Amino acid sequence: MSEKNITNPMKRHMGLKTSRAIGNTAIYALLICISIIWLVPFVCIVLQSFRVELKGPVGYVLPKQWGLDNYKALFQTDFPRWYANTFIAALVTAVLQTIIVLCMSYTLSRFRFKMRKPLMRFMLILGMFPGMLTMIILYRVLKDLGMTQANAVPGLILVYIASSGMGYYVSKGFFDTIPKSLDEAARVDGATRFQVLKKIILPLSKPIVIYTILTAFMGPWGDYVFAQYISFGTSAGMNVAVGMYRWLNKDQIAASYTMFCAGGVLVAIPVTVLFMCLQKYYVEGVTGGAVKG
Amino acid sequence: MASVKLTDVKKIYENKVTAVHDFNLEIADKEFVVFVGPSGCGKSTTLRMIAGLEDISDGTVEIDGVVVNDLQPKDRDIAMVFQNYALYPHMTVYDNIAFSLRLQKMPEDQVYEKVTNAAEILGITEYLTRKPRALSGGQRQRVAIGRAMVRNAKVFLMDEPLSNLDAKLRNQMRAEIILLRQKLDTTFVYVTHDQTEAMTLGDRIVIMRDGIIEQVGTPTEVFEMPRNIFVAEFIGAPKMNMIETELVRKGDQYFVMPFGTPIGVTGEKREELLKKNVQSCNIVLGVRPEHMVLADDSDDAIPCKLEVNEMMGSELHLHVYTEDETRLIVRIPTINLSMDQRKSLVFGKELKVTFESKVMHFFDKETQKNLIYGD
Repeated sequence: MSEKNITNPMKRHMGLKTSRAIGNTAIYALLICISIIWLVPFVCIVLQSFRVELKGPVGYVLPKQWGLDNYKALFQTDFPRWYANTFIAALVTAVLQTIIVLCMSYTLSRFRFKMRKPLMRFMLILGMFPGMLTMIILYRVLKDLGMTQANAVPGLILVYIASSGMGYYVSKGFFDTIPKSLDEAARVDGATRFQVLKKIILPLSKPIVIYTILTAFMGPWGDYVFAQYISFGTSAGMNVAVGMYRWLNKDQIAASYTMFCAGGVLVAIPVTVLFMCLQKYYVEGVTGGAVKG
Repeated sequence: MASVKLTDVKKIYENKVTAVHDFNLEIADKEFVVFVGPSGCGKSTTLRMIAGLEDISDGTVEIDGVVVNDLQPKDRDIAMVFQNYALYPHMTVYDNIAFSLRLQKMPEDQVYEKVTNAAEILGITEYLTRKPRALSGGQRQRVAIGRAMVRNAKVFLMDEPLSNLDAKLRNQMRAEIILLRQKLDTTFVYVTHDQTEAMTLGDRIVIMRDGIIEQVGTPTEVFEMPRNIFVAEFIGAPKMNMIETELVRKGDQYFVMPFGTPIGVTGEKREELLKKNVQSCNIVLGVRPEHMVLADDSDDAIPCKLEVNEMMGSELHLHVYTEDETRLIVRIPTINLSMDQRKSLVFGKELKVTFESKVMHFFDKETQKNLIYGD
């Protein structure tokens, strides 16, 4: 009996090691499969965008003839206009929405005022309704303001940032983890509330600021529904998603499919660059050493 | 450098809890005042009201003769050191100390001079380029003090600045705060729950309980003339022994009867009792552990048994219990005992303790007030 007791734990220990190795291998294999599946469409689109011999969809992946014709063709269309529309809308939205969200979060995190909790609850419930519900009335309002069709961009910006204050959850949660005594120390040191936010809270919240900018940029950049509705068929007011989607119509796809792919690649570039530049801040932990730890 | 005056200051929270009741205190220019009390007594709240970090529900706070109730912290010209240091983690030590000066738009060469000066006084010059996370607790607290120092503020507020340090470092920093105080020569308000810090640092001590001031006085006053049982027990370690007994007056003579042993009250204490015309009554008799002595077999000594013998190095803390199970602590300098005596002090040993009348404190059993200094 005693012998068994001595040998068994050893065996179990060895078994643990092996089973962990098997488990890891399985997990990595699965992850590799998933990433291949995930990457295939992107690779295909990039390859198609360089195809010259045929402009419609085809049954093979590698182009027979390579060239930049599709990219050149893009600039003969309204694409630059759509691209500019999208870029302006996304950029302005990113800036304004980030400012609004951060101010809102700071207020809800640091100030105590009447109706604060009911307000937060109200926004939570309001956020549960899909934004589409407001579409018809929004169109009416924007039309009266002259912000539809060719003037869709300011209208879109207005729609995008109108409810941005409700997206405070993530950054408020982060601000809550920054000790209040830092605010107090700064205020005693002579800082105004705004200086506290600017000089203390924001530098400590880089990851969350970056996250806010990225999400604020991505929303308008990939939006289709609102952009389609507000531009209402006027090419000058469309964004890339709406404009390019028309190339996939039955009567256009044979002549514009590869151009669509080229457009898709151009659309992906700024976002990819943005993510690559900013990703390192995602993981940065910065609050160490603030207070006793 | 300025005086601070609090008049009928109240703090009532939204949930109707009153944290501070009618707080009245005048702090003179360049005075070092310590607020001390158990946790939740409102001492930090009061300090934060002076700083402007808490709203004042009622009453006024004046700094240098100006009512500051509605001023933002930044406009009150105060400096504050927090318990958890509250250093800005993304800035170097230099930038931390320079933060307030830069907000004042002070020219960079003056900032440099002030920061290096402060760093030198505090001995943190070599850490100026480090971030707070690379510092030890004591160093962080020095940076926090440095940050407050460079401001030349009218009032220096400290909210339990040593509580997060270990015992040894705390003693060292305590001494440094005394030195710092001499160098800065400004008004200090210091909050602590540690009576030793209060006694060693303060010109005056404000002892608080449940939002009420129990006593204000110099360390000597609160130690020798505690106004009530709470103050008597709070100040001094180990805490004062409290014995429920009677005070008996026979003509001009007074006796106390601890555990049935009559002990005469003589000297000054008798005079004072006479002056107050105190009659026979039930009292709580307070005697500090260091004022109790082991007695030989004399008649006016209290018989008791030894329960615990704590060897503190320079002194012994003897925990004894009397016939009616009352626990007392007797503090005896080790040097007064021979080796044989020390060895004989084991569990269950029968002892006799006594005390002189000049060390007695008489408290009314009902009101808990000191019969002599209670008003």
